[in-house]
Amino acid sequence: MDLDFSDEQRAWHDAAVEFARRHLAGDAIAADRDETFDHAGWKRAAEFGVLAMPVKKELGGLGLAIGEVIAVMEGLGYGANDQGLLFSLNAHLWTNTMPLVQWGTPEQQRRWLPGLMDGSLIGANGASEPDSGSDVFAMRTRATRQGDVYVLNGTKMFVTNAPVADLLVTYATIDPALGSMGVTGFLVDGHAKGVTVSRKLAKMGLRTSPMAEVVFEDVRVPVADRLGREGRGVAVFESSMEWERGCILASCLGAMRRQLERCIAHARQRKQFGQAIGKFQSVANKLVDMRLRLDTCRPLVYRIARLKEAGKDATVEAALAKLHVSESCVKNALDAVQLFGGYGYMTEYELERALRDAVGGTLYSGTSEIQRNLIARGLGL
Amino acid sequence: MDDIAEELRRFLLAEFLPGESAANLRDDTPLRTGGILDSVSTLKLVSFVEQRFAIEVEAHEAGVEHFDRIADIAALIRRKQGR
Repeated sequence: MDLDFSDEQRAWHDAAVEFARRHLAGDAIAADRDETFDHAGWKRAAEFGVLAMPVKKELGGLGLAIGEVIAVMEGLGYGANDQGLLFSLNAHLWTNTMPLVQWGTPEQQRRWLPGLMDGSLIGANGASEPDSGSDVFAMRTRATRQGDVYVLNGTKMFVTNAPVADLLVTYATIDPALGSMGVTGFLVDGHAKGVTVSRKLAKMGLRTSPMAEVVFEDVRVPVADRLGREGRGVAVFESSMEWERGCILASCLGAMRRQLERCIAHARQRKQFGQAIGKFQSVANKLVDMRLRLDTCRPLVYRIARLKEAGKDATVEAALAKLHVSESCVKNALDAVQLFGGYGYMTEYELERALRDAVGGTLYSGTSEIQRNLIARGLGL
Repeated sequence: MDDIAEELRRFLLAEFLPGESAANLRDDTPLRTGGILDSVSTLKLVSFVEQRFAIEVEAHEAGVEHFDRIADIAALIRRKQGR
């Protein structure tokens, strides 16, 4: 399969595949069953440089071009078998580290970035609430200014990495009467007084990526820890979502490619009615559709890299990529299960887990319905 | 003719209401409470106002009380500019 990489992208991709095969290929079935977060894998990924790759060199990062970071993520997705860990790494990068890079003050960056990049600190993002998911800016979490601090009260839902997080990028309104223009971004120490991981959430897929509800109860956040201007949390959040929607599914590209290769090999080897099942059109057509989806997904993701590197807005293109990759990933995973028949339904074949992992993609970072809304708005509708 | 209001109207029509007649976007048309602007487009409008008119809009000035109608936004701009 021609992956159409630049030389640099190919080098990073291949290195990531090799790294992931060596260091991120544990017993994923047991980890999924037990909902185990791979702390050691996180550290090894940090040592490989994953958490520093998109951060500018002047801030201590590796300063890779976004296309190279995406190539790394695709390589990790291809070589690793723990998609939950990759999801956690992505959430940390795109909704915690990158907002800090883009909106943080020099002091905030000096304080947090070294640990976020070397793997000693884990980042999370708290935006959704029990009663505001897709309508995220209808949030109820309040930030009340008291001199040099804000006092935060409220509950955040579906917070990826929360049970292991050291730093939360979160959002609260300074005044509900201001509507979305009251929403403000904050950096909250995950171990601060009043921050409670109230309950860990069990999930259908991505079970090795810990997720929880977080309660803020009279959490005192210094004004110096506000992220961005007061009332401009929408800008911080939307920029983080543009990163996440555009890049979080790069790992899925690699996972889809590995899955397709496995299905093709199976269709060639598995014989029924005296011939390889791939000779039956109904099977071959599935594989053709899987290949077509993969080939139409990759350009959408790498287009985000080109736009971001050129400093252009990628709101619509990120939504297009998120929508198409996430839905294609689910369809390919379903086809893979079907193609393997009864074996595909068995846990030990790891295809049912891939399907469960894939479904989340149509929900996190904005549901498919929200992505379509964003795209429609971009069309002037 | 209010230059500020006209400039706001041109921006709103071009960015958020392509194809709409200028006559249908009056100075008192509710932009946010009327569903023309959502959270992201409101932020774009605030950013435009800050850059174009060289003012800083504080959070408490960006609520619907001051920032829902062209007339109110133009008044806020004039006030911030000391006009």
